[in-house]
Amino acid sequence: MVIVKRKQLSLAERLYLPEVVRALSITLRVIFKKKVTRQYPEERMVTTAVTRGQPRLVLLDDNKSLACVSCGLCEAACPAYAITIDGEETERFIEREPKRFEIDMLRCILCGFCEEACPKDAIFMSDELELADFSRQALIYDIDKLKRPRAALQKRIDYFYGINDRWRKRSSTS
Amino acid sequence: MTPVLVMLLKTLLIFGGVITLAAGMTLAERKVSAWIQWRIGPNRVGPWGTLQPLADGVKFVFKEELIPDGANPLLFRLAPMLAAGPAMMAIAVIPFAGEITLLGQPTTLSIADFPLSALYVVAVSGLGVYGVILGGWSSNSKYSLLGGLRASAQMVSYELALILALLSVVVMSGSLDLRKIVEAQAGGLLQWNLWRQPLAFLLFLLATFAETNRHPFDFAECEPELVGGFHTEYSSMKFALFFIGEYVAMIVMASMTATLFLGGPEVPYWPAAPWFVQLATFLLKTGFFLFLFLWVRWTLPRFRFDQLMGLGWKVMLPLALLNVFVTGLVISLF
Repeated sequence: MVIVKRKQLSLAERLYLPEVVRALSITLRVIFKKKVTRQYPEERMVTTAVTRGQPRLVLLDDNKSLACVSCGLCEAACPAYAITIDGEETERFIEREPKRFEIDMLRCILCGFCEEACPKDAIFMSDELELADFSRQALIYDIDKLKRPRAALQKRIDYFYGINDRWRKRSSTS
Repeated sequence: MTPVLVMLLKTLLIFGGVITLAAGMTLAERKVSAWIQWRIGPNRVGPWGTLQPLADGVKFVFKEELIPDGANPLLFRLAPMLAAGPAMMAIAVIPFAGEITLLGQPTTLSIADFPLSALYVVAVSGLGVYGVILGGWSSNSKYSLLGGLRASAQMVSYELALILALLSVVVMSGSLDLRKIVEAQAGGLLQWNLWRQPLAFLLFLLATFAETNRHPFDFAECEPELVGGFHTEYSSMKFALFFIGEYVAMIVMASMTATLFLGGPEVPYWPAAPWFVQLATFLLKTGFFLFLFLWVRWTLPRFRFDQLMGLGWKVMLPLALLNVFVTGLVISLF
């Protein structure tokens, strides 16, 4: 059993009015404080390397083919079942690439498990956070919408390599 | 012909001004609430959001108007008018400034001057409770009914303290004419009734908060328990009328406080001030009390209903009676 000991109120506190005046003085001071509102469309959120935005696929240095080999580890790691991959074989040195790579952005919870699971450093969490469209179908992103040149994700990639440096072995494709 | 024209012109000017001020109050309410919560407040419509009330008005006009099943159609339509009407009628006697020349005719800047103006304000603003209780009853909704009952109980019990506080001022100046009450406070800052009747001032101020259903006494609305109180079922312009009525009542009560205790349009140490200086002085004094309404709203939590009634009947009423008694005793003895 919890016994709540009531504080004995002083006369000024029981009269209530001095306390009201004290409260009013607090709110008056607050009026002149710096405002915390961020005027959104004009003032964007400041993103850093730590920001986990929407996942994006990294392009190889030729800026055409993806680093992804469609192994399906991110698909398996995804707790929200947001990723769908169909793989196919190609003629280039890395023999596999995704035919279809879709992330349902309405399901994605931006957890970053795909980024951690990827053995080929092909998927990274970008700093892109804005997500709006007129239909659900338009928010299922395919390869065209997901691919980004390496330079666009470089900040995140460096940060990611930094925290995983102890056990990371550079993959052959990067 | 000219006196009628002057009267019409004065009515138009004062009424238009007060309605504009009421619209400004809705913006000020949102701005002050924002500032107190470290926010910026509406700033998209017009410069610094000054056109926000206009946008709100357009929105209200175009909203769908709902009348609930089982509502009394006549009273349901009548209630918003009864809530807004008396509040606007009370504007008529408030002395905004002294002598002024309109269309070549000397007159005073208030719609009507007559010897019982203080009584008139009390009588007319007391009618506002009909709008509240009829709105609550005719909606055929339990929340509205409870809200209306609470609001009317509260308004009736605090009106006593309000009138008794006003009475001690009337006893001091020996007249029910607001002009005379203002004249009695002419001179310096120390002539204000605020210093001569501090207890009456405090009681009057508290009672105005309860009369206009403002925080911390806003049991008419009381969102967590009563959804929206007596205007739960109202929509569109009918709802807006309740709102306008509330804000005009606030303006009336604030200007009454300024008139009764701060000397109204009287400029301290400048008896022959021109009318616009008097008007500015009056607006400054009223503006402070209007700001106080908003300031208190975003500072204090709501009372409990029994605490409210206890405060009204067991503290404020005896204090007000005592104040009137002591005032009368001192006046008659000296």
